[in-house]
Amino acid sequence: MKFEDAVKKSIKTFMQGKTPSATDEMAEGGIFHTPEYFDELEENILGEVKEEESVDEDV
Amino acid sequence: MKMFDAPIAGANYAADTRNYPWHRPPDIVNYDEGVDYMITKMKEPEQIELVFSLLEIDAHVATVVTSLLMQGISRGKFSIDLAILMAGPIARYISIIADEQGIKYDMGVGDKDRISITPTSLKMALGIMDDDNEETLEVLEEAPVIPEGGLMGAPTEDEAASEDEQAAMLGMVEEEEPTDELA
Repeated sequence: MKFEDAVKKSIKTFMQGKTPSATDEMAEGGIFHTPEYFDELEENILGEVKEEESVDEDV
Repeated sequence: MKMFDAPIAGANYAADTRNYPWHRPPDIVNYDEGVDYMITKMKEPEQIELVFSLLEIDAHVATVVTSLLMQGISRGKFSIDLAILMAGPIARYISIIADEQGIKYDMGVGDKDRISITPTSLKMALGIMDDDNEETLEVLEEAPVIPEGGLMGAPTEDEAASEDEQAAMLGMVEEEEPTDELA
């Protein structure tokens, strides 16, 4: 398997909501950058964008 | 043939192991630290411009992530194994900032070999066929007639052209004399 194939496989797995279990066990308190963290980040960032757009429309 | 698409066996013993950054222990060995480093790095104007430009020329997110990780590995920032683990979060982050900027992108992780499910294939699998489709299938199922004795075999009496046709093929038919319509 080439590096790019491994990267694709890793992305696909992460997008399915899976995290590296062994790494998670090793980290104190679990890993921070989980799929849930990015879901929240997406909501915050895209929520802000939508709010800005609605403010522009009101003006 | 991928026989030669690999390093030469024992090449690592012939090279100086301190020549390159990736030959030395990496700077980052922690997953979260690595992801933080990459996200911080991507916030730099040059990096973010490069990422957006690549996405705008229809480069897949997986390709962008690969190139960013390769940069980090070549600088000795993290190991190849950690880079592979970090690929998912970085791709997700890129997809978020691309959405924020309204840039369309393709993750590039789809399976090309997968047979796509279409209404027709589903109907065929379930044995539900329309009348039109059945007619089409019947036409397709008619096997072509193969002459006896192979493709180069002599035709049988039924298949042979009639005497008139054979004479026409040999140019032995009297051609009609052109008539002068104006006369």
